[in-house]
Amino acid sequence: MRVLLVEDDDLIGSGVEAGLRQAGFAVDWAHDGRAAALALETTKYALVVLDLGLPKLSGTELLKGLRARRDDTPVLILTARDSVPDRVSGLAAGADDYLGKPFDLTELIARCRALLRRAHGRSVELIRYGELQVDPASFTVTRLGQNVPLTGRECTILVELLTHLGTPLSRSRLEESLYGWQEEIESNAVEVHISNLRKKLGASVIRTIRGIGYVADKTS
Amino acid sequence: MTKSIRQRLMLLVLASVVAVWAITLITSYRQAKHEVGEWDNGRLEQAVGTLLVVDEANLKKLAAVGFIGSDDDDSQRIHTEETSRELQFEVRAADGQLLASTPKVPLAVGVDALVGSSRSGAYMLKLAGGRWNTYTLHSSVTGRSARVFERVGGRSNLTSDVSRRIARPLIVALPVLALLIWFSIRRSFAPLALVSREIGARGADKLDPIEVHQVPDEVRPLIDALNNLLARLRLSFSRERAFTSDAAHELKTPLTAIKVQAQVALAAHDPAEQHLAMQRVVEAVDRSSHLAQQLLVLARLDEASLPDLSPVVMNSIAHGCVAARQASAASKGVTLTLTHNAPMSVQANPTLLEILIDNLLDNALKYGSCNGRIEVAIFREQLNAVLSVRDNGPGVVLDDRVRLGERFFRVLGNRESGSGLGLSIVTRIATVFGAHVRFTTGIGEEGLAVTVTFPNTNFKHESLEPSAA
Repeated sequence: MRVLLVEDDDLIGSGVEAGLRQAGFAVDWAHDGRAAALALETTKYALVVLDLGLPKLSGTELLKGLRARRDDTPVLILTARDSVPDRVSGLAAGADDYLGKPFDLTELIARCRALLRRAHGRSVELIRYGELQVDPASFTVTRLGQNVPLTGRECTILVELLTHLGTPLSRSRLEESLYGWQEEIESNAVEVHISNLRKKLGASVIRTIRGIGYVADKTS
Repeated sequence: MTKSIRQRLMLLVLASVVAVWAITLITSYRQAKHEVGEWDNGRLEQAVGTLLVVDEANLKKLAAVGFIGSDDDDSQRIHTEETSRELQFEVRAADGQLLASTPKVPLAVGVDALVGSSRSGAYMLKLAGGRWNTYTLHSSVTGRSARVFERVGGRSNLTSDVSRRIARPLIVALPVLALLIWFSIRRSFAPLALVSREIGARGADKLDPIEVHQVPDEVRPLIDALNNLLARLRLSFSRERAFTSDAAHELKTPLTAIKVQAQVALAAHDPAEQHLAMQRVVEAVDRSSHLAQQLLVLARLDEASLPDLSPVVMNSIAHGCVAARQASAASKGVTLTLTHNAPMSVQANPTLLEILIDNLLDNALKYGSCNGRIEVAIFREQLNAVLSVRDNGPGVVLDDRVRLGERFFRVLGNRESGSGLGLSIVTRIATVFGAHVRFTTGIGEEGLAVTVTFPNTNFKHESLEPSAA
């Protein structure tokens, strides 16, 4: 899951970035509004964590611009100004959730997951797919009740495919969900992860569409 | 002196009325006395004139029956003691022989007395039996002289009676007047009572202007002054509220950082990641304590009792501040220099001046460029002492420059973490010193220059305190 973090404060930004990484998200960190706007135009994010008091382009402006483009990426606002009118105006501008500073990192992550879940039309955290049961929060996958040990990245790819059932995802799209800006991308990493997943879960789970990418088919 | 204006007015007005009445009474009494005296003398003159022309036989008869000077009803009625009204007389021939005299002519009045004081006219004589008003007339035709006597007490009754008639209504009028004055004053003070009620009914947080209609002109300035004060209070309250709210928000940022980094450290499995997060926790704590320190400085500066100002030599303080920052400047590759010539003394407080210079230097070091230059200069400009701190960093655009002195204003886009209070502290301290702060472009039209001008400083380079050396 690739998340855009927009935060101008170094200490908060680095902490949230590390926390989201620990939770298995790929994080891009934009320090100001303009950089964030640019990132949003070029990359498809699963979620935006947005600080409102930003240099160059305010968080509210950024949010309005995003919604004006009919981009409905879930947005969670982080701000020190958390009075009721502030919350109302933030939500009115198109935010999906609101968290006042100082916030709890675990709560932030839980809210991020909840937003992602809702964006994918699920009301519970667990994803069921055939014989599989996947918990994206704890990176645990069970097959017929048996625990299947998966690495974080394998799990991320599986969740990405299972949350876009029937939609083929390209290799680069999957890479985007795996790596943040600062991380080195291994050239054949996606293929390696896919083949590992097939070994652990059975070949039928992921189907390759030549020249396009990978898909998890909708179960009837 | 009584504290109530109403009572004082009452007393003053009543006292004035009484005083004026008293003066009026005294002058009226004197006037009346004078008039009565004139009238009495006229009466005596008339009587004595009669005595001179009456023949001897009739004189004897007159002396026997007594002689009433006047049968004026009014004057008769006024007199309480009838006998005192009786005129005594004596008439003498040219040779001094007594022709006739009333039996009660005062004793010790003999030939000599009459002859001795034979001048014509009215006299008051002290004779046996008291004081007498006399009138003597000498006829040049017959050579006779006549004199009439009247007791003094007999006629003063008239004047005191007249005075009593004048005084009585005034004395009766005094309580009525007092009541009227009291009522008028009470009525006149009603608007004041209204204003007091309006102010008294207010809660502590109600600071909007007092609105009382139909206020008299005398009370208007008081209300205007009060409204002025209320307006200033409102402003300072709202400023304080804004400051508290801003301060709380500013404190939230480092607190958030501490919490987030601590949670990252707790959840991290990698020791290196844990270490980094803990280092950031320490950094965030440093930042919040710096913010708290700056807030404290500002709060102390806002207190009513500010330190006394005394002549302080800027050079030595600036030298100390610059020396203390050489190490951190060197670590950033910044060249930090201090230029000063003659010792420059300004009206200031050494501790505050140090805080001012420290803040300027910290600011320049934080926002100036790496490997840049910071030039501190102390110089004289006409009559003013000037302290300037200039850097060649990225500078501040004009729109932001005018806001630099505002509390919590930070130029957006810089990556440095600041409290947004440094330059507002500088501005505040400068205000305490009566100095002026300007923000302009720095070295070679780059960067930022902060100039603190101490106006009209009295330069006495020779008479510096020993600590200046």
